[in-house]
Formats: sequence, structure tokens, C-alpha cells
Amino acid sequence: MNYFKTIINGIVKENPTFVLLLGMCPTLATTTSAVNGLGMGVATMFVLICSNTFISLLKNLIPDGVRIPCYIVVIASFVTLLQMLMQAYVPDLYKTLGIFIPLIVVNCIILGRAEAFAAKNNVLASICDGIGIGIGFTIALTLLGFVRELLGNGAVFGYRIFPESMNMLVFVLAPGAFITLGLLMAIVNSVKNRKA
Amino acid sequence: MKKLESNITNMAVVLTAIAIVAGGLLAWVNNVTAGPIEQINNQAIENGIKSVILGDRDIKFRVEDPTEKEGFVFHNVYDMNGDLLGTAVESTDKNGFGGAFKVMVGFDSEGKILGYEVLEHSETPGLGAQAGDWFRQKSGEVQEQSAVTTLLLGAPGKPGNHNIIGMNPGDDLMTVSKDGGQVDAITASTITSKAFLRAVNAAYKAVFGYTAADGVSGASSQN
Repeated sequence: MNYFKTIINGIVKENPTFVLLLGMCPTLATTTSAVNGLGMGVATMFVLICSNTFISLLKNLIPDGVRIPCYIVVIASFVTLLQMLMQAYVPDLYKTLGIFIPLIVVNCIILGRAEAFAAKNNVLASICDGIGIGIGFTIALTLLGFVRELLGNGAVFGYRIFPESMNMLVFVLAPGAFITLGLLMAIVNSVKNRKA
Repeated sequence: MKKLESNITNMAVVLTAIAIVAGGLLAWVNNVTAGPIEQINNQAIENGIKSVILGDRDIKFRVEDPTEKEGFVFHNVYDMNGDLLGTAVESTDKNGFGGAFKVMVGFDSEGKILGYEVLEHSETPGLGAQAGDWFRQKSGEVQEQSAVTTLLLGAPGKPGNHNIIGMNPGDDLMTVSKDGGQVDAITASTITSKAFLRAVNAAYKAVFGYTAADGVSGASSQN
């Protein structure tokens, strides 16, 4: 198995947001600014890599009948761990992202990858899959946050570009998230189709 | 190794074992991080007191041990001569846009607002979450923008009055302008703004006993 290919696969061919359409809740809820999107992506990537590793290690020990509860216990433990560690050692980042962190437990990308990939592949491949999908998710969220912040707040990563009077508030609110996501997916698909 | 069979014994044993290991790990990490987390929270309160009472002034001060009453926490702050500099009050409003909204407000002995800090909130990033800065931006103070944008699009619109520093909830009607008050709400975040002002008024009331908003908010809550 080509590990590099697994990583690229997660970023492009199976991009969790633009292609697999997984994890839409956190995607729409947290991308009000580019920094929030980036932070959520990185936090999710951390949990994804950890859970993929452990589930791949434990895959033969877990009977099929209870695999979903077992996966969820593993995932929720890592999320809680991350939350406590962030609160203790990076309080500033925790302050910005605090309310998003518990959302990672219900992120179906993580359970989806545990079920579809980690439960069937070896540890190294599962780690690579975690990295790839994690990067793909982070890129998608940052891009989404970037567009919404630019149009809705007139700023990029917190630096003001347009005056406040030109803000299109709808892009920061929920409807703007759907509009932006739809347009970005259309662009990604059109680029992909042209290549194929 | 062959995959374990899905019989009842295997399933019960494996799930229990995983839960116990996970529980143990979390208990251990919780134990390790509890100290630093408490330290950070205490530090935040201490910095909050300093910022809401002293602002930019650099003078020595002494904080009395906090007292608690009906959910409010009071910190009396004295200078080195023993004169009261002000009182910092921790106040929580339960009805923010995303949940509880906790602020610390500093009043001088007459009830004038010296400063405030948002301690905890679950407001929308980019909207309600601006409360930390919004209510201290002076009238006429505009968001910075580049010279090119000003050239292309003109000067930004005149901002309203939403600086509460120096106001006195006993004399000034501290509700949002939509309700006839003197404070402009955060754009598109009226619920957050109302929660914030309720917390400030409640803090004042807890110290001084009444607010100018009493009559108005009482009337509007019957609508």
C-alpha cells in the first residue's frame, strides 16, 4: 500500500467536505471566520489520527456486535482529553474554540473513517488516512471560513479589508454557510470534471 | 490474530474493558490538568479585577477576599491608604444567544462603570462574541481601515454610541436603543447585547439596590 497516496487521497479524491459531504454540522457551524475554521480543522485532525491509530490497533479485539459503542468510547475519550489539555496548556486557543471542541465527538467523519478505513487497514495506513482526511477537512474549513469572513465581516484572518458598512451579514449567519458551501462545491466539481 | 467472535461474553468483556481503560485515562488526565486549569481561572479573575477597576492606571492595590450573594461575587478593591477604589462584581445572565453570559463589571463608589470584562460566553463568533470590545469602543471611534479602502469607498459610517465606560446604571438608562435605552446593540446581535446589559444592570443592582432601567424593563417584560 502506498502511504503517500493514502494521504493525497484524503485531501483530494475523498475530501471529507467537498466530496464525501461528511461532518456538515461542524463545517457549517464553526466556519464564521478563517481562524475558527483552521482551529476546528486542526483539532479534528488530532482526534482523527488518535482514534484511527487506536481503532486500527484494537480492530481484532473488538467483536463486530459492539464495534460502534467501542469506537464512540475511544473517540469521546480523545475529545475529552484534548479539551482538558487545551484548557490547561493553551487557554487562549481554548477560549476561541472552546464551544466547538465537544462537537468533534459527533463529527461523523471520525466515526466514518474508523468504520470505513481504520477497522480494515493496518496502523500505519490508518495514521496516513487520518493525516490525509484531517488535512483535507482543515483546508476545506479554512477556505469556507475565509470566504465567509471576507464577505460577511470584510476581513481576512481578522485583518479588515472592506469597511464595516459593506459587510454582507448573511454570510456569517447560517444561510451564508449553505450558499458558500454550495458554490465552493460547484467550483471544486467543475475543476475535477475538466481534469477527467 | 483472528477477530473475536460476537458472542455475549466477548462483547460484554471488551466493551467493559475499553470503558474502564478510557475512564481511568480520563481520570488521570483530569487529575493532572485540574491544577493548571484552576490556576488559569484564578489568574483570569485576578487580571479581570485589575482591568475593570484600574484600567490603564498603574497603582498598587489590595483586593479583599471575595464575598458571594445570590449568585453575584463581589471583590472590593482598596488602594494602599485603605480607600475604596471600586467594586468588581461577577454577574451572570442565563439568556445569552448561546447560553449563560458571565461578565465582571467594575463600579466606583458612586456607581460609575470603570470597566468590564467578559468572563464566559457561548455567543456566535464574529457577531455576539464581539461583546468583549464593542461596549468599550468610544463613540466616534471607527474600525481601522486602509487608506485605499477609504479612497475607494469613502469613510466608514458613523458608529453609534455603545461605550458604557463612565456610564452609571443608576442614572443612565442602560438598555438597548431599540428599547429606548442609551446603548446601541451590537449589529445583528441584539439578544447578546440585551443579555450583556441585563448582567451589568443586575451587577449594579446587587451593589446599589436599584437601576434606572428597573421601571422600563419591568414594563417591557409584561409585553
